[in-house]
Amino acid sequence: MTAHDSRSVLPPDYDLQREYRELEGRDGQTYLQFATQMTTFYKQTYGEHSRFFLALRAGRLIGATCPRCKQVAVPAFTWHCPGCDFAEMQEIELPHKGVLAHTAPITIFPSSTFIGDAPFARGYVDVAVDAPIASFLPSRLRTTTGLVRPGIFVQGLELKLVFEDETVGCARDIFWVPMSEVPLHLRDQQPLRASELDFASPVPPAVTVAPPHVAAFGEALAALRGLAADVALSRRARTDLAGQTSRMGVRTGGGDFTLVVAEGQLQVTDGVAAEVDAIVVAEDPSVFTRWVHDGSLTDAAVEGSLWLPHKEAFQLLPILDRLPRSTRRDLRSS
Amino acid sequence: MRRVGIVGAGITDCRSRWVEATYWDLFQQATRRACQDAQITTAEIDSVIYGIYNDIFEHQAIPESSLTGIIGMANKPGTRVTTGGATGFYAMRMAAMEVASGMSDVVLCIGGEKATDCYDPRSKTATPMVVDTIAKSWDPFYEYPLGATASDSYMQICLAYNDAYPNDIGDPLVRARIIEMLCHAGNRNPHAQRRLETVTAEQVMSSRWIIAPFLRLLETCMYTEGAGALIFACEERATEISRRTGVPPVWVRGIGAANESYQAGRGGSYKRLHRIDSDRIAAERAYAVAGVTAGDIGIIELHDAFVAQLMVTMGELGFVPIGQTRRLIDDGIMVDPKELADDARPEAGRLLVNPSGGLIFGGHFVGGSNMFSTWSCRREMLARQIPLGLIHGTGAINACYGGAIVLELGA
Ligand SMILES: [Zn+2]
Repeated sequence: MTAHDSRSVLPPDYDLQREYRELEGRDGQTYLQFATQMTTFYKQTYGEHSRFFLALRAGRLIGATCPRCKQVAVPAFTWHCPGCDFAEMQEIELPHKGVLAHTAPITIFPSSTFIGDAPFARGYVDVAVDAPIASFLPSRLRTTTGLVRPGIFVQGLELKLVFEDETVGCARDIFWVPMSEVPLHLRDQQPLRASELDFASPVPPAVTVAPPHVAAFGEALAALRGLAADVALSRRARTDLAGQTSRMGVRTGGGDFTLVVAEGQLQVTDGVAAEVDAIVVAEDPSVFTRWVHDGSLTDAAVEGSLWLPHKEAFQLLPILDRLPRSTRRDLRSS
Repeated sequence: MRRVGIVGAGITDCRSRWVEATYWDLFQQATRRACQDAQITTAEIDSVIYGIYNDIFEHQAIPESSLTGIIGMANKPGTRVTTGGATGFYAMRMAAMEVASGMSDVVLCIGGEKATDCYDPRSKTATPMVVDTIAKSWDPFYEYPLGATASDSYMQICLAYNDAYPNDIGDPLVRARIIEMLCHAGNRNPHAQRRLETVTAEQVMSSRWIIAPFLRLLETCMYTEGAGALIFACEERATEISRRTGVPPVWVRGIGAANESYQAGRGGSYKRLHRIDSDRIAAERAYAVAGVTAGDIGIIELHDAFVAQLMVTMGELGFVPIGQTRRLIDDGIMVDPKELADDARPEAGRLLVNPSGGLIFGGHFVGGSNMFSTWSCRREMLARQIPLGLIHGTGAINACYGGAIVLELGA
């Protein structure tokens, strides 16, 4: 069976215009630069790895186990044990649950191929937990509780294996979610499919209204209104926002507001508007005060002090992060 | 095995991009400077070892082939080494073996990289394409499709280390103090990429996150374009060249290397993610051959891809206990080069760490970064009369490759 993907291996915008451009060197001389590429296409065999990927296609996770040292290799990256004079290894069916071997990093700045996917978490899962020696499975890690943030994928976390609805035979056919996020009746299901879990509508974390946050909220609103007024006067800031339209509801421990981006302007309105693209949550409203004073909403999201429902909401943050600097340069530089 | 000395060194300026030169000219610049330093001509060189990390950056398969004539190595044996971030280390190991074995008397060891000609059409910047090129160091079956990058890989090590040894590398102030010292070091290196920058601990701690919680923008190494060259010689030739130049040889007293398994896991020969065993094993081997301990070393030039990794590596190399690497700062083990005269030696129990500015402030032209380290280490050992120095290299995914060289100042 051949599985086709509607996309080509190179995205259409992954290309360059041919050009021969003059550049000035540090010595004041003129140098020439040419646009080119070094692309190789492959129809690459999975060879001995085929068994593992064929199993994934069928909703199974397999490893290779050595009859002598009892080690388990998952993925089944070899079928001959390097520790036992290359003794032939046997196929072993593995459970669809595991433990995160170590706290996982979250990628914010991906490589060229994965632009648009960030932020994402990637970690090593201990699947063959009963084996005396075992490899870890390099894995995608996903959560149903909103954008991935520190504190979720920590060492020792119990995980459930999830299969994409359509499996083609690649490492992205599977990912893992925290077992605690899987409804009880699905925890033993094998295979569990991605569409059986709800990633689209995460429940925003509850905020508790506390007096210090109320005071901070006043400051944050004043700072945001100041920034919005500056944006209206700043050519650079309006350029930053060009083509962007977004209504972001913000819940904080001091009160709520909505950030509206439209027609090159930033607007702050009271309360969470009825129709918003996303609701974001920050227990401490000073996250926004710090942003206005040359801080970063992206950093707040990366640290986890700003909760976001999905990566689409994240894409706006680097644009918003430019505004304080742009307005300062236009309005206060001289 | 014959005794091996280093009698000349030369590096180019470290720049984020050279539009004025391709890697052909950069390698020639470094060769010319190394020959000038040793007061030799290329005719006196018997063979060459090249350190070039990958073909994609140079945009040519067998990139060293086009260099042969340009750097005066026509009709001599030449070998290219490519072992990821540890390319420079392994090239130096090959050069030392070439001399020690008697195959050659004088060897040119040269490495460099031209990384930022890469360009990402979607972000319209170089960086994501450079990151992608390095990410191709992962296998195409299991790891690359997940979006692995070099920063994640080092941070996976640091996060795992932090799981096992909490309260060590996690203090942002300790890491920021290390950055301040590396910045002071970079200020003193005439070829450093960031020699004019002043970075304070406060700036480090408020710089943007790359990966929370151990990697902010000002804690990470650079991409550099440049090249570095060293002249290795047998004892007889080293002594003769040294008489010519009036500069004593720096002897290669011990080399150690170790590569861990690519596959991570628990037990057996799997890579342990919470340690950099390759660094530890390499250093133990180098110390054993040299007959020294970490305590005898007065200067180290190590491969500091990221500050948290620098701390872990310093533990693996034996300078501070694993789990207590913050003692580099807490106990004042790491000397601030700003507080040490240019000809002064660190007192006993203290250590000069990356007086070049390292890969974070000095330069990181991958295939020659470790030659850059050796250039600096030799320079400082000569200027400060430090008897023993250490060079460290690491590379490949999850810091699987490690290398260490003990250097000894000649009489
Ligand atoms: Zn075995």
